[in-house]
Amino acid sequence: MKNQANPWLTSNLWVLGLGMLPAILLIGVLLYFTAWAFAFSFTDLALVGRKSVEWEWVGLENFQRLFTRRGFLESLWTTVIFVFFSAIVGQSVLGFLLAAALRGTRSTLRSVVEVCIMLGWLLPDIVAAFLWSATTAQTGLINQLIIRPLGLPPVNFINDYALPVVTIANIWKGTAWSYLLFSAALDSVSREVVEAAKVDGATPMQRIWLVQLPIIRPHIATNMLFITIWTFTYFPLIFAMTGGGPGRQTETLAVFLYNQSFARGNLGFGSAISVAMLVIVGCLSLVYLRMLREPK
Amino acid sequence: MESNAPSRLTAIALTFMAVIWISPFSWLILNAFNPLSTGQLEIPRAVGLDNFAQAVSGNAGRQFINSMMIAAGTATLSVIVGISAAYPLSRLKIPGRNAFLWTLVLLRMLPAAGVLVPLYFTAQRMGLLNQLGVIIALTVLNLPFTLLLLKNFFDTVPIELEEAAYVEGASLFQIVTKIVLPMSRAGIAVVWFFSFTGAWNEFLLPLIFARVQDAFPMSVGLYAAFGQQGAINYGFLTAFSIIYAAPAVGVYFLLRRNMNTGFAGVGVKG
Repeated sequence: MKNQANPWLTSNLWVLGLGMLPAILLIGVLLYFTAWAFAFSFTDLALVGRKSVEWEWVGLENFQRLFTRRGFLESLWTTVIFVFFSAIVGQSVLGFLLAAALRGTRSTLRSVVEVCIMLGWLLPDIVAAFLWSATTAQTGLINQLIIRPLGLPPVNFINDYALPVVTIANIWKGTAWSYLLFSAALDSVSREVVEAAKVDGATPMQRIWLVQLPIIRPHIATNMLFITIWTFTYFPLIFAMTGGGPGRQTETLAVFLYNQSFARGNLGFGSAISVAMLVIVGCLSLVYLRMLREPK
Repeated sequence: MESNAPSRLTAIALTFMAVIWISPFSWLILNAFNPLSTGQLEIPRAVGLDNFAQAVSGNAGRQFINSMMIAAGTATLSVIVGISAAYPLSRLKIPGRNAFLWTLVLLRMLPAAGVLVPLYFTAQRMGLLNQLGVIIALTVLNLPFTLLLLKNFFDTVPIELEEAAYVEGASLFQIVTKIVLPMSRAGIAVVWFFSFTGAWNEFLLPLIFARVQDAFPMSVGLYAAFGQQGAINYGFLTAFSIIYAAPAVGVYFLLRRNMNTGFAGVGVKG
């Protein structure tokens, strides 16, 4: 920490340290909770009943149950589909396309589109769940505007196509984040580079694919990292729309975790689920971080 | 000049997108302003504000204040704690600081439901099963992201400016408040906004922490209103939803100017 060049820092080290203290304290609390959750995963602790007081260490039993009992692997698969289509394909690609298309457009059109997308993002989860349940219901907007005029019988989307519906709802809700990030990233690509590519005869497709995308690759990796984490553990929208149903069609890991921990009261097993989720997302993040670090 | 102006086709496609994006709101608006709302998508025969009057007459005012306190409290506390730690993290060459920050972010991937039980027990023991408890808990959960984002913003403030100010005789406090903070204003606004909307939307924590109806924020109130009067009162629900959604939208428009600049810092570095 010998930082002779910055005397206003070195002479005030204790002030800086004091400033960091609250954050260190709160992070300690976070670590403490996390350690607790880890410890729970090796016990048969329950929310209510005898096991809530006289719990025992059960070793790796909870983790064995992840693979031997039905539920976890199915939920994992549902989550993978949900994350892949709603976050990686939906939000990222759509967000990028919108950012690329709106770049340098007239300001009114840009503002209108931006505000429309943002409204989805700003809407509280529970309200968004209402909205999409109503829109995809048998008497909802999609049936009244598209299915009925075609002379087809109304479809109960939220029931018959639950996973696609929550996926679309999440795309609707989350694209704004990717859009904003990509929009800022594209603004940072210098105009000269793009102009030079144009002079060299690159088509618009090539300009995006071969010039702009490689430049903003760190942004893409960061975006992927954040939205993967968020979507992987995203809970309220799905829970409020379907509660995981019908059957278990939309029971992603976050919903499965909630159902096991709080509806069924198996806190030990629930903790094992969250530890498993942490490991999975951790591995995914390492892949993204590698993408971020790697020199071009 | 600007030659990549959109073709007519792009403009039409974008307009189409916007219309699709906004269309689910039709149900919300049509029902909220229809005093005889049935929850169906239909053109109202009468238009009126009765639903809104009903929505604000009950506990909504109290819940609005609760939500506002939780959201503004969390956002402000997060930003203050975050700034005072992120500035040293950005300026001092503490070994392994980046690895440390990313480890924190990784840890934060533990689903909130996973730390809910220890969180509840601790809050109970410390007598924090109230709004202050919710604010502190949300700040704890926010902190890894807040720290990472704020540190990235501070990294972009050129240290030469601080050197110049020091030579002119400015103190550390003056350097931070007169140079660093103003220059990273957009970033701070973005972080504040994220924390605010996150806390405003938060449902699970207040649901478990709020033991009495007086302490419910709007998210819990809305959820609780579902089963209250026997049959679901859609007019009330939709009007309540609009009131509930309004502040986050309002804050966005207030801070909108800062958004693009602020987001530029989100990407870049690890």
